[in-house]
Amino acid sequence: MTQQAGIVVLIDVDAAVESKTLLGNTYLVDNTGVPGCQEEGTEALVTDMQSSHWIDGSQADEQILNWLLYALGSLPPTLPRNYRSDQVRRHERVGHNDATQPEPGHDESAGQGARVRRRGSGVPGRALLDVHGRVLPETADGSHLAHSRPAPVLVDITGEAVDLKIIYPALYGSPDRSTEGWYWSATVDTSRPGTYAYTMTVELRELMHIDGGWHWMPHRMTFDAAIRITSKPCLNGFTGAGIGVLPLPVVESPPEPFPEIVAEPFAEPLVEPLPVL
Amino acid sequence: MRPQVNIAIVVNVIGALSDQSLGDGNMCMMDDGDLGSTGLGGVELRTACLPGQLVTWEAVALDVQTPVEISSITFLGPDGQPTDVEAAAPAVDRDTGRAVWSGILPRGLTPGTVYPYRIELRMSEGDFSVLHVDTPALAVAGAGDC
Repeated sequence: MTQQAGIVVLIDVDAAVESKTLLGNTYLVDNTGVPGCQEEGTEALVTDMQSSHWIDGSQADEQILNWLLYALGSLPPTLPRNYRSDQVRRHERVGHNDATQPEPGHDESAGQGARVRRRGSGVPGRALLDVHGRVLPETADGSHLAHSRPAPVLVDITGEAVDLKIIYPALYGSPDRSTEGWYWSATVDTSRPGTYAYTMTVELRELMHIDGGWHWMPHRMTFDAAIRITSKPCLNGFTGAGIGVLPLPVVESPPEPFPEIVAEPFAEPLVEPLPVL
Repeated sequence: MRPQVNIAIVVNVIGALSDQSLGDGNMCMMDDGDLGSTGLGGVELRTACLPGQLVTWEAVALDVQTPVEISSITFLGPDGQPTDVEAAAPAVDRDTGRAVWSGILPRGLTPGTVYPYRIELRMSEGDFSVLHVDTPALAVAGAGDC
């Protein structure tokens, strides 16, 4: 069926960071809708790629794979890309109305830009939001545990499937708002059926309070998944085999004239009649 | 005259499944014939073709991440119902791989005859994922049209 395949990688970031492994904390789901997919919902998904070939064995259709990474406990990925900065701006506007003095640590330029630069104990780069979109306070308290987890970052795809040139993964730019403009995609060589493993390297970020300041600590982890390629012959839908004549019904007389196309009368015979002797 | 006529069916799968209809702009058909086809861009395409020409249908999704395929094409009789000829046609098992919908217009057809057909599209799985239209047709052109 004509369709690009998508694989959603959902990661329980807190559990993965705590246990220092993605095993048991990652959930892969694809949209191929093929019963042959194995281990769907686990980190060991085997995506079934059904392809087809022509009678001479050549590849008849192409398959495309896309990976989308999401974190458990994050803001919905379908929110507009500027949602975070809008929330921060709205929060600061309310603060200005309530008090004439800016809040401690408030950056005057924040109202015009997308980012809030924090002083002192602030988080570098960005204001913190919880999963409801509320801006968390400057000072660390219990509410910081509810901060929206940043989406995992897919760093690389390696392994057997790449080495054998079964898949050609690459990072692409996109206007898609749920991936912040970047996503991994791969074309698949479906001419070589078989099961091929690949390894995904993922970077998770943990919010840590170190030396009086908040820092994002990166954690790189890997897990293995696989694709299983099957290839079946292309058949003609009318005949179940090769090309034949169309199975038209027997029509005694034209049931309906086709006004745009009028058959012209036969032309004058090209052969002149024989002269009468 | 071209030896082949290609008919492309572009489907807005999300719209079609939401409306449970291939109408309302959810499907449009085009062909590359040069014999005066009509209804281009809609679901009432009349493809003008000549006996001996190869006619090929292909469905593509407007959103490439949505699934669509032709599950059957059956020619209709004078009563507008599929004829026995099509009923006897072998159904392509989905396990056998991708189906290519292609065939040669038989020779000996009367110019001006119109052969309406039902095209059935499958979009994913389930009871409500198959929709069809009976409006497109092949029209046999006369020898003077080529």
